[in-house]
Amino acid sequence: MNPARAICVLALTLAACQAPPIRRAPEYSSDLVVEGKRLIAQAPAKDKNLWRLRVALIALKEDRRKEARELLDQALPPAGTVLSGDATTKRARSLFSPEETKIFYGEPYERAMGWFYRGMIYWMDGEPDNARACFRTAQLFDTAPKSGHRGDWILMDYLDGLASAKLGSDGGAALERARTSAGDIKLADYDASANVLVFLQYGYGPLKKSGGDVGEGIVYAGGYSLTQSAVVRAAGRDMAAPALDDLTFQATTRGMRQMDWVLARKARVKKTADIIGEISLIPGIILTQPEGTRDVGLALVGAGLVAKAVGGSTQPRSDTRTWNNLPQYLAFASMRLPPGKQLVEVDFFDEHDNLISALSRKLTINVKPKGDTIVFVADK
Amino acid sequence: MKNIVSISTFGLCAILFSGCASINDPSYGVQVTEMRADERGFVAGLGIESQDMVTIAEKMARGMLSEEAIANAEGKPNIVIEPIINETRFPIAKDIFLTRIRVALNSNAKGKMNFLARDRIDVLEKERNLKLSGQVTGGEKVQANEFKGADFILTGKFQGISGRGKAGASDYVLYTFQLLNPRTSDIVWEGFHEIKKQGRDDISYR
Repeated sequence: MNPARAICVLALTLAACQAPPIRRAPEYSSDLVVEGKRLIAQAPAKDKNLWRLRVALIALKEDRRKEARELLDQALPPAGTVLSGDATTKRARSLFSPEETKIFYGEPYERAMGWFYRGMIYWMDGEPDNARACFRTAQLFDTAPKSGHRGDWILMDYLDGLASAKLGSDGGAALERARTSAGDIKLADYDASANVLVFLQYGYGPLKKSGGDVGEGIVYAGGYSLTQSAVVRAAGRDMAAPALDDLTFQATTRGMRQMDWVLARKARVKKTADIIGEISLIPGIILTQPEGTRDVGLALVGAGLVAKAVGGSTQPRSDTRTWNNLPQYLAFASMRLPPGKQLVEVDFFDEHDNLISALSRKLTINVKPKGDTIVFVADK
Repeated sequence: MKNIVSISTFGLCAILFSGCASINDPSYGVQVTEMRADERGFVAGLGIESQDMVTIAEKMARGMLSEEAIANAEGKPNIVIEPIINETRFPIAKDIFLTRIRVALNSNAKGKMNFLARDRIDVLEKERNLKLSGQVTGGEKVQANEFKGADFILTGKFQGISGRGKAGASDYVLYTFQLLNPRTSDIVWEGFHEIKKQGRDDISYR
């Protein structure tokens, strides 16, 4: 072989042996908020709000108030915003796109929870009047059509009244509403001098799943909490904090959504098209065999294919994106403590009032000399 | 019969392609437009917005300045603006409201009023103490108490009634302002503005 040709062949052979480029595995930190922000950046525009809400709650649990505030402000449209339609909502309503094409703002219980946490942060920032505004907005989202379930968040009304009492006005009407919603649960009278407000949450909140024949409905499942109550102990005093609001209850009592009618129509189209496709395709194929019925058979096959295509392309699936790190229960306790460093112990109890010792917490809090000190405790 | 097959094929293609519409259709985007603060934009909501703030600030300033006690006051009355009491369901940045009202009053009053920076009293006291202690210069000029007392106190309160149901949401907000004489507790002047808004979310979010 010509040496030049041999070198050429050798070079080509070696070139084929080049090692593939090494792709390093992405580096993940143990900082959940940082990782959450990475997920927000990677998420499609329609899902960013969902991730912002999830990460905001993680930030809040890690006492990173500033980051939680920023994320909630990005995820929640300003109070009073009318959610208008856009290209994504148009697609969500169309036959051939699923509902989750639209930008995520959450179901009413999720929107209410967003405002609840935002209100808590306003209170942490020393703005109880703005906190009250958030609790009022949260309560307004509960527009269940069934009488008795509308605006029945206990804690939203209770905190609305407490903020009013602390600001020197009358919170009596809000307390009365909270007590009506609470039923048998005893709600303490307001102590306007209480300067430590403990917000508690227990368990895992509800998850959305597809329901109905073709996934056109939303079914809630998964809401669970071993903890049913807690006792907050400080300066020799015990404050009971029973579970007040049940998020699964709030999620399941909203009634029919307007969007459910749209999805029901999509489901009807899908089911009808599938049936037409099935009953016309096989007879059509059979009728194409004899010469005399071939034209009729072809027409039936054509119609069947179109119907199958319509049925297959129709997307009646409901939006099951869920703010999945919400709790099952909300609770609250307040107490008066002297300013400075204070030890607060929190014990959690199950439905039979047995202590869940693995969840017990000892917190050292710094009570502000002026204004309220807000403590946020989650058992999960 | 060939026509039927052709129509069926065409229909099938039309259905398949209809799912390919772009989500980035530019017809849904809107160019950035510069507006006056008192104009109602296309993203208007039911809450307290810039156009409301401008309208209210101007209206209150005009009302206050036409009040006899202010119009005929000898010298420049000293005014303290108190933080607004917000009882609506809308969180607000109170500072921006107070600033807008003060600016409106100042520009309309043409030097008839004097505003006291009571909201900055901590900073002012700190500076005075630094001067008095000799840590900074100017202590020799400080008299016993030069901080002025208020001739009038301007207070504001926002209250609201909100409703939400199948038909949509509505919000009524009542904005009231009072000018108080701290010596006598007289309400020297009172003005109000009310706005009701209603709207309905897109069906996809109802």
